[in-house]
Amino acid sequence: MNLALKDTLHAPTRFALTALGVAFLVMAVIGMIGLYRGIVEDALLIIDRIDADLWVVQGERAGPFAEGSAVAADMDRRVEGVPGVADVRRFTQFSQQFSFAGAPHRATVTGVDVPRDDGRWLSLAEGRWLGGSRYEAVADGSTGLKVGDRIQLARDVYTVVGLTRHMVDSAGDGLLFVGINDAAVIARRRTSEEIHLARAAGTGTSAVSADASSVAQDSKISAVLVRLDPAADPARVIAVIQRWGDVRVMTTGEQRDLMLNARLWKLRLQILTFTGMILVITAIVVSLIVYTMTIEKLHEIALLKLMGARESVVVRLIGQQAALIGIAGYALAVVLAWMIFPLFPRRVVMLPPDLAQIALVLALVCAAAAWVGIVRASQVEAREVLS
Amino acid sequence: MSGPSVLSVRSLTRHYATGAGPVRALDGVSLDVAAGELVGIFGPSGSGKSTFLMLAGLLENPTSGEVWLAGQRVSHAGADLDALREIRRRRIGFVFQKANLIPFLSAVENVALALEIADVAPADARAHGRRLLAALDLAHRAESLPARLSGGEQQRVAVVRALANAPPLILADEPTAALDRVRGRQVMEIFRRIAAAHGTAVVVITHDPRSTDLFDRIVHFEDGRMCAGKVEQD
Ligand SMILES: Nc1ncnc2c1ncn2[C@@H]1O[C@H](COP(=O)(O)OP(=O)(O)OP(=O)(O)O)[C@@H](O)[C@H]1O
Ligand SMILES: [Mg+2]
Repeated sequence: MNLALKDTLHAPTRFALTALGVAFLVMAVIGMIGLYRGIVEDALLIIDRIDADLWVVQGERAGPFAEGSAVAADMDRRVEGVPGVADVRRFTQFSQQFSFAGAPHRATVTGVDVPRDDGRWLSLAEGRWLGGSRYEAVADGSTGLKVGDRIQLARDVYTVVGLTRHMVDSAGDGLLFVGINDAAVIARRRTSEEIHLARAAGTGTSAVSADASSVAQDSKISAVLVRLDPAADPARVIAVIQRWGDVRVMTTGEQRDLMLNARLWKLRLQILTFTGMILVITAIVVSLIVYTMTIEKLHEIALLKLMGARESVVVRLIGQQAALIGIAGYALAVVLAWMIFPLFPRRVVMLPPDLAQIALVLALVCAAAAWVGIVRASQVEAREVLS
Repeated sequence: MSGPSVLSVRSLTRHYATGAGPVRALDGVSLDVAAGELVGIFGPSGSGKSTFLMLAGLLENPTSGEVWLAGQRVSHAGADLDALREIRRRRIGFVFQKANLIPFLSAVENVALALEIADVAPADARAHGRRLLAALDLAHRAESLPARLSGGEQQRVAVVRALANAPPLILADEPTAALDRVRGRQVMEIFRRIAAAHGTAVVVITHDPRSTDLFDRIVHFEDGRMCAGKVEQD
């Protein structure tokens, strides 16, 4: 008979509560790691998806995400003429507050170069991509907008023609795609009041204030995205463009690096520190639980030895009980995480490799705790039944 | 007495070092118990009865002297106690004042556990456990947890567990001390029956003078020594 299972079923409520406690700890670990993954994924979303080889940005600046950036309005035509460039698209992005249905909303207006940009790099959940006519917008679902909604941005009314899912900026604000010319108009026509509001809102102020004050005032284009000919040598193209002196050229890799190691460094460090802390707490609590279960059974263990049970019987009792706690806690944690985390305001990304690693760590913790328990049990002598 | 001794104890001595100097808990005891014999050990508190049982049951090593089981020397001053588990498993059954049943196992599971420890297949162990319980009028309690059993029932289950593997030797330390007169008598009668029916050697430590009529032999302990024993037949 399986002693571990018998003992567990003898006190099911207690086991359930213990497993639930372990589950919440493991869920916190899953959540922290998932939050980290989510923030990184959101931050890199545009950079990874927009399918650009090079970013032409304002000279001596690390724009447009880590710093504000503005390039000349005709920069796209200049870049297009460089040998090795397959195509170019203008790009701009800024935070914007607007009111809809009587309530204030936030979105990150992203100007895309329609019709040159056919939107194939993002998938629409609903509706259609920007058609090239003015005053159309594609919104992310997280902004709360729906297809057919009409919103006022600057002096004009825009119609939402399509919806995306999970397209947010590094602060978690939903993206609102509009044509690049519309975006320029919205950026230019933001009233002093709106700038004030955006500043008061706190997040995204760096982009806003940079937009508002320190960039070239004649242009609202922050970058030109370049796709290279397959045969082109990126280094040569970069060298040619940078020789102009007024722009800087960054690769997608450099943009990623800036985003993760400049813009998000402190946040990442903090989340990882907390993840480590929760892991340590989980390890301590799980060890204590397993060890306590062993201590509580010392009398039964002495009895087993008195009856002449082999050491393996005792080892199995402790090992299997630790495994039961670990497996039940983990399974419950995954189910809870899967049910609860989608309700969180920021995305929690649960990747199978992360879940597997958490399972591995938990298994190691349980094994270590069981080992300590087994060592303690091996010191028990049969005659202790009588004490 | 006929046949070889199931238990044979030679000049068994056990000293304990305490703060107040050495204690001679057991001081040169020799005793032979034959198959089918029911031996009662009487003696005042602290006379070394439990110490004797512990040494004879291979739970502790003697300071000097030897323990033989069925003609084989198993324990002496330098014996490896852990290696004696195997012998305990198949050759000795224990009963104590407390039943010491495993609280999360039913009566039949407690008995079956002893069988499974001795490598009986789980299904067979359970079936045999049930038969053994039925033989002691405990069939209706087979599925009960120990907490649901009366003290007398618990102790009878403990006895069934001790004899589950049909060991040639059963050692009992005050098995009836926690029971009333009727229940105590019941348990002692079980020992008597097992000894007679299976040829099991049974050694019972007791303070209860009312069951002296059941013993084949009674020995007295005093200050770690054995005094003159006498045979009483019923
Ligand atoms: N582990 C030990 N350490 C020190 N002294 C011990 C130890 N075990 C027993 N003794 C001493 O040995 C002596 C005999 O003890 P034992 O338990 O054998 O007596 P007993 O005859 O069983 O008594 P009782 O009838 O009260 O159960 C006692 O004086 C006791 O204090
Ligand atoms: Mg005693």
